[in-house]
Amino acid sequence: MQNLLTFLQTLIDGILIGGVYAVISIGLSLVFGVMHIVNFAHAEFLMIGMFIAWFAWAFAGIDPMFGAFIALGVTFVIGMVMQRTLIKPILNAPQVSQIFLTVGLLFALENGALLLFGADYRSVSTSYQTQALTLFSSDAGRLLVPLDKLYAFLMALLSGGALWYFLSRTRWGRAMRATSQDPMAARLMGINTDRMYMIAFGLGVGTTAFGGAVILPYITASPTVGAQFVVLMFTAVVLGGLGSVAGAVVGGIMVGLIQSFSALFLPIQLMNLTLFVIFILVLALRPEGLVARRRA
Amino acid sequence: MTVQRFLPILAILALIVMVLAPLGLDPRGYEMRILCIMLLFAGLGQAWNIVGGLANQISLGHAAYFGIGAYTSTILLNLFTLSPWLGGLFGMVLAVGFALLLSIPTVRLKGHYYALATLAAGEAMRVIANSWADVTGGPVGISVPYMPGEGLWMMQFSTVLPNYYLFLAALVVICLIFWKIQTGALGYRLRAIKQNEQAAEVIGVDTYRAKLIAACVSAAITAFLGTLYAQFQFFFDPDTVFGIATISVKMALIAILGGVGRLSGPLVGAAFIIPMEEMANSYFGSSAAGLSQFAYGAILVIVILLNPHGLTALIGQLWNRILGKGAPHDRAAT
Repeated sequence: MQNLLTFLQTLIDGILIGGVYAVISIGLSLVFGVMHIVNFAHAEFLMIGMFIAWFAWAFAGIDPMFGAFIALGVTFVIGMVMQRTLIKPILNAPQVSQIFLTVGLLFALENGALLLFGADYRSVSTSYQTQALTLFSSDAGRLLVPLDKLYAFLMALLSGGALWYFLSRTRWGRAMRATSQDPMAARLMGINTDRMYMIAFGLGVGTTAFGGAVILPYITASPTVGAQFVVLMFTAVVLGGLGSVAGAVVGGIMVGLIQSFSALFLPIQLMNLTLFVIFILVLALRPEGLVARRRA
Repeated sequence: MTVQRFLPILAILALIVMVLAPLGLDPRGYEMRILCIMLLFAGLGQAWNIVGGLANQISLGHAAYFGIGAYTSTILLNLFTLSPWLGGLFGMVLAVGFALLLSIPTVRLKGHYYALATLAAGEAMRVIANSWADVTGGPVGISVPYMPGEGLWMMQFSTVLPNYYLFLAALVVICLIFWKIQTGALGYRLRAIKQNEQAAEVIGVDTYRAKLIAACVSAAITAFLGTLYAQFQFFFDPDTVFGIATISVKMALIAILGGVGRLSGPLVGAAFIIPMEEMANSYFGSSAAGLSQFAYGAILVIVILLNPHGLTALIGQLWNRILGKGAPHDRAAT
């Protein structure tokens, strides 16, 4: 009974956190799927999203769950501008340049935030932060669903669903998928691929910022918070297949589960080690991803 | 008249300048330390250049080898007072072992995928060093026991001057190794891989083996430089020697900004980046945290936007414009 409860609790925690990982990874996958660029600076937009939500909370009293929409909007615009000015010129450059441009962007964004906001840790306080739903209770133990994680998970579901709807059901979404499959053919069909690239990049960093904002109730914001998520995000994306949005969802939930289950056997510091090993093995054995094979 | 013809003369001149440079400087001074770090990072960039430059295998995890080298010699020195020369040798063996372990599954990966796999490998080492506190000292870091008067055998000196010449010698050896590889059969194989891996396979290049050898040589050199670094700094922690920004990316950056795949690349890159970084740190270090790193990232972005082929190509471009020539011949040299 005790073991079963521990198992179920770990499962719940894994899925809840995994859902958020899924949303922050979708953006990365979208950018790669459409532009074939690995954006190493992507996790920094999670940090930016967290800061936007924090400021919205601190100065206007907006709950991070709603602040997330502001974060999405602001980073969407930043992303579009950034794509136009920085990413577009290197779309056809050698891969080395692409990698190092985004790595340079990573340094600039992280330290830019450090300059602007200082190294302080910032957290929000909300009414639901310390509360939890009790699913089951007995002498052997209880099954809990922490409310902050549940809300974050639901918001993640919402944004993931919206993005799925956009990509598969709307005209612009179809145009974007066409661009990712064959930019030349898309252009011949009258699609403005440059605009599609801009929107894809804006949406990509926007969803990641959204994901960053909704986890603010249980993760403190700081300029270096992105670094915690870099490998995690890439693992989720690679598990699901680089460039596949549906894959990123599966990958994100898998990463959440791997993390929460490995915490049962390993000391907390080694939690990410399992992730790294799995990541390298997946890259080596199935670089196309474990699940999906279709592009977004 | 090509630039190539002057290269040996230029190299010898540069070497003479580097040998004589410390004469005018305070042997314990700040400038000497910067020069030492510059030499060290030029060596690191060159080691990276073997894999990243010649074969275009973009590694973002070379800190793993660097840290292995630093930790192995320091731990052995702490436990058995073993000379860092021997400890460094052990470190090199371990680093080659790790390179094989990592490369056998990942060496076939290309571009982004290889970069990601190596990035994770470096991070994995950092996590291990942080959590295996019994051996590594954990996040607190580890110190090299101070043994004054032991001299060269223990790699400890009372001034920075011997360190400088040690680093310079190491850099010269590394450059020679790189030059030997670049102009030898292995270099041709690696460049064939860079240009077109499938075509290289078709004409009979064992691409797997060539990349594996390159990875091992690069790892061994990086590990030894890790030992030198440990003996120079006397103290380090996992986040420094296994860091992405502090080591992995920086060494790659130095090679890339200077001109990837060229012998001169890491030298130019280190001569540019390290003093710039130190200057930014000393000007703004205390007043605004992060400004130097911010400038660092911004300059990286700008240089790549100006010319994706690196600083030397950029200089070549300017040079040609001044001389009124056509296409830069520099670029074709890679």
